[in-house]
Amino acid sequence: MAGAPDERRRGPAAGEQLQQQHVSCQVFPERLAQGNPQQGFFSSFFTSNQKCQLRLLKTLETNPYVKLLLDAMKHSGCAVNKDRHFSCEDCNGNVSGGFDASTSQPPKVLGLQVRATAPHLLKGLKDTSDLKCIVLCQNNIHNQAHMNRVVTHELIHAFDHCRAHVDWFTNIRHLACSEVRAANLSGDCSLVNEIFRLHFGLKQHHQTCVRDRATLSILAVRNISKEVAKKAVDEVFESCFNDHEPFGRIPHNKTYARYAHRDFENRDRYYSNI
Amino acid sequence: MADGSGWQPPRPCEAYRAEWKLCRSARHFLHHYYVHGERPACEQWQRDLASCRDWEERRNAEAQQSLCESERARVRAARKHILVWAPRQSPPPDWHLPLPQEKDE
Repeated sequence: MAGAPDERRRGPAAGEQLQQQHVSCQVFPERLAQGNPQQGFFSSFFTSNQKCQLRLLKTLETNPYVKLLLDAMKHSGCAVNKDRHFSCEDCNGNVSGGFDASTSQPPKVLGLQVRATAPHLLKGLKDTSDLKCIVLCQNNIHNQAHMNRVVTHELIHAFDHCRAHVDWFTNIRHLACSEVRAANLSGDCSLVNEIFRLHFGLKQHHQTCVRDRATLSILAVRNISKEVAKKAVDEVFESCFNDHEPFGRIPHNKTYARYAHRDFENRDRYYSNI
Repeated sequence: MADGSGWQPPRPCEAYRAEWKLCRSARHFLHHYYVHGERPACEQWQRDLASCRDWEERRNAEAQQSLCESERARVRAARKHILVWAPRQSPPPDWHLPLPQEKDE
C-alpha cells in the first residue's frame, strides 16, 4: 500500500513505494530519539520527526479529505488514533509512506523485523498482533500539502481494510483495486501534480495517471512483472475507478471534499427520504 | 421513500443549489474533462433544485416523486459496479487497540 512519491522527484519506478510486508510499524529509538536535524532556517528549530508530527496533527485536524475518512472509518468500527495508528520515521528510497495491514499473526511470521526496543509504541498493546499503522516517511515529506495527500492515500487503504475482506498479500486484484482507488481519490493524479511531474495531458489524462500510478505501486511491493501488474489494474479498473467510497465523488479539491463530508454527515436524512 | 408528513427532501435545497453552481463552474468543467474527456451534465441538479423548492413552497407531490426518483437513480449509478472484494459484516477483529488508559496495565 503505497505512499505517493514526492511530486518534485522523478526517477525509476522501482523503489518509489514502501514495501508493505517488510515494514515494521515500530520506530527504532536510535532514529527517533534525536531525529535528524537538517540545515536551513526553519529546520534549525524542529527535527524532521517533530515537523512530521506537527504536519500530521494539522492534517488530521483540518484537512477535509482526512476528516471524512476518519469519520467514515469510525462509523465502520475502525476508529483511528494518531498515536496508535501513525508513525513518523525515516525511510529508505524515494517513498512517502505506507500502510501495514498485518494480520493477527505476529509481524515476524510475515517476515517483518520486530524490534522490542520501541516501548513508546509497544506500551498499551497486549502484543504485537495489535500493531496497525500508517508509516509516514519524515525524510521524504517536505510540506503540508504532501502530508495531506500521503495521509489521505494511506487512509484509503486503511478504509478498504476496514470495510472489506481485502487479501493484501495473495490476491493481486485486491491490491490493484485499493491502489486504483487511492490514486483516484487522494489527489495523487490531480492536473497540477501531473504537471509537476512533467506528465502533460488533459482529456481523460486522470485515468491514465491512475492506471500508471497504481501499476507502479503494485510493482513496488510485489515481485512481479510490469505486464502482470498492468493486467491486474486493467481487470479491476472499471469497478474500482468508479468506487468512490466514502467520498461519493472524486474529490478534485477541498471544496469537493467538504461537500462529500457534508453528504456523509447527512446520510441518515438522505437514505430515509429516498 | 417515506410518505406523509414525515418526508423531507433528501438534501436541503441549499445543497442542490450548491451542487448545481459547482457543476456549472469553469473549474468543474476542467476537472470533469480531465477525468472523463467530456463536458459535465448539470441539468439534473437544476431540476432537483426546482423540485426541492417546489416541495418547500407548495408541498407538491410530483416534485417529491421527481426528487426521489432522481436520487435513487444517483444511488443506482454509484452502486452499479461489481465489487472486487467481499464486504465485511464487522470491522477487522484485530483493529481495535487498548484505550490509552490501559497503558499502565
